[in-house]
Amino acid sequence: MTRPVLIEVNNLEVRFPIRKKKLFGSDIQELRAVDDVSFTIKRGETVGLVGESGSGKTTVGRAILRAIDPTSGEVIFHTPKEDTDLANIGGEDLRKFRQHMNMVFSEGPVRLSSMAADRLRLFRSKMSLVFQDPYSSLNPRMTVRDIIAEPLVASGMMTDRAAIDERVRDIAERCKLNLEHLRRFPHAFSGGQRQRICIARALVSRPDFVVCDESVSALDVSIQAEIVNLLKDLQDEMGVAFLFIAHDLSVVAQMSHRVAVMYVGKFAEYAPTEKLFFSPKHPYTYALLSAVPRADPDAAFNPIKLQGEIPNPLDAPTGCRFSTRCPYATERCSANVPEWREIERDHFVACHYAEDFNFTRPKSQN
Amino acid sequence: MLSVKNLSISFDTDEGRITPVRDVSFFVPQGKTLGIVGESGSGKSVSTKALMRLLPGNAKLSPESEILYRTKTGHELAIHSLKPSSRELGRLRGGEIGMIFQEPMASFSPVYSVGNQMMEAIRLHRGVGKGEARAIALDMLNRVGISNAAHRIDQYSHEMSGGMRQRAMIALALSAGPALLIADEPTTALDVTIQAQVLELMRELQQDLGMSMIFITHDLGVIAQIADEVAVMYLGTIVERGATRDVLRAPKHPYTQGLLKAIPSINTLQQRLNPVPGDIPSPSERPSGCPFHTRCPDAIAGVCDRKPPREIAVSQTSAVRCWLHDQDARNAA
Repeated sequence: MTRPVLIEVNNLEVRFPIRKKKLFGSDIQELRAVDDVSFTIKRGETVGLVGESGSGKTTVGRAILRAIDPTSGEVIFHTPKEDTDLANIGGEDLRKFRQHMNMVFSEGPVRLSSMAADRLRLFRSKMSLVFQDPYSSLNPRMTVRDIIAEPLVASGMMTDRAAIDERVRDIAERCKLNLEHLRRFPHAFSGGQRQRICIARALVSRPDFVVCDESVSALDVSIQAEIVNLLKDLQDEMGVAFLFIAHDLSVVAQMSHRVAVMYVGKFAEYAPTEKLFFSPKHPYTYALLSAVPRADPDAAFNPIKLQGEIPNPLDAPTGCRFSTRCPYATERCSANVPEWREIERDHFVACHYAEDFNFTRPKSQN
Repeated sequence: MLSVKNLSISFDTDEGRITPVRDVSFFVPQGKTLGIVGESGSGKSVSTKALMRLLPGNAKLSPESEILYRTKTGHELAIHSLKPSSRELGRLRGGEIGMIFQEPMASFSPVYSVGNQMMEAIRLHRGVGKGEARAIALDMLNRVGISNAAHRIDQYSHEMSGGMRQRAMIALALSAGPALLIADEPTTALDVTIQAQVLELMRELQQDLGMSMIFITHDLGVIAQIADEVAVMYLGTIVERGATRDVLRAPKHPYTQGLLKAIPSINTLQQRLNPVPGDIPSPSERPSGCPFHTRCPDAIAGVCDRKPPREIAVSQTSAVRCWLHDQDARNAA
């Protein structure tokens, strides 16, 4: 399976200033939400991104979409024609770029006449985002048709009403929405249907890349299964690449071609799904996998006991960030930051002792 | 020690009367854990809130509803008929039945320290002095694995991390020495590694204290790890109940079967999942007959949509509400 690279992330870093009030004045501390992260996403591929809360998964997704500004590093979007460095788009161009990304609801519809025909126009329709909560991410005062059509209208990609209607109907059908429902308002729909509306909106402009940020986490299991299948089908039909951010490993296992594990702002491991789930090389990945309870009362459940709590990113440990909780940590781990390296083809890991570990998990038959 | 019979709860709303819990019966044996599973809107939280009479004012229990509880001192208490402001109810809440919730942040008062809130509960229910209450609170915090408890006891809930807050919540609920603990999705908001820690902690504490537990969750994986018995709820009705092993290994109700098929596993990769077809109907549009018949792959036309099925024992330990397993009544009808 050789697919061309679509998104290339090099040494991405996002820092947030945190103001701490003191009796007089205040201190400014820096929170490193994302620290030196590099990876690629290929065309038509799903990359799963897992990690515990506060690990920086969402920040990575948003920094790629330029919804927040990376402090340093580059995000390169490979189009068939030319490569563009997203990290270096600025000012007015960036504002227009964001509009297409469904993130700037407050700015309202953009006048078509004020659209500039610069090279960003290419991108406006190329990336999108599906949020976690399908209740708060739909405007209750717009009809479903208008919600789905908004990316087309706001980006100025299409102007002809009939053509827009045609496109909306097409994507609604693919997302298994009832066409009768297009005239209704979102309050009439269940969580699963709402999430289908959100997916239709994200895909209506036929993007190359969509970030799904915990998009199935808030749904009940029976509906979650339906949405996971839908996303897979849409990927097969439309060739879209997903960055699938989730904390639920079992869902990520079904969705992803490759999976990255994040811990306190850094990538711990990045590998093809099969390798990551059955022969992980980072102790943290293995601990995460061992902590997932299975719905089988006879299955062995012996979670690796990790010491203590996830460290505060404001006060991250020196050396390897996992060294404070890792059962195998040595002095070297707390002194030196492990290098992010490729130990086998496509298998990246940040651990001094990765080669020494031989973690395996049994595969099940069904 | 707790038995619930024919519990039905309805609410009068602007859009008419809805009945999110219908004819629910279960019991919790001494020292065991009953797991209640169900998707959102299945009535699992509402029915357990009724056990402590924590329902809002517009809620009504049906006249047949019966909640019987045997107190620590051994007398029988009819919770359903207690007066809202009675002393028995005050003693029951916290002292006899403790409760922990999904969101520990919302359960602590932000203006009192954690220790202060624990001591209040201990003094109220155990009738001890301040110094002794503090010692008990400290011991409890140590037991739930909070490091540096002597320092943490004077902290406020916002100064703790999510996992620690949930431990403190458990310590608070247990500090008054309840005989029954109701845990409403206590690990849902936690990360998996922390969830594993909290589950182990709860299992240990239960053994040490000989406490009974009702554990509410939507996660069948968690149920498999913690519950002795399980009740599966759908639209306010228990469709199947029994020993956890029986229910998860050989589910009898099509809904339980569907749920188990729908959950992904970390041991099979890149699989298509098997969703339960259709959406959960809203409580105001509850289907006639068996509530699940609109989504059931095995529904029998003319039977399942007419009359709700009764509960049939399918083995010594398990029971199911499904027409497929009730040949006799089907023939009679």
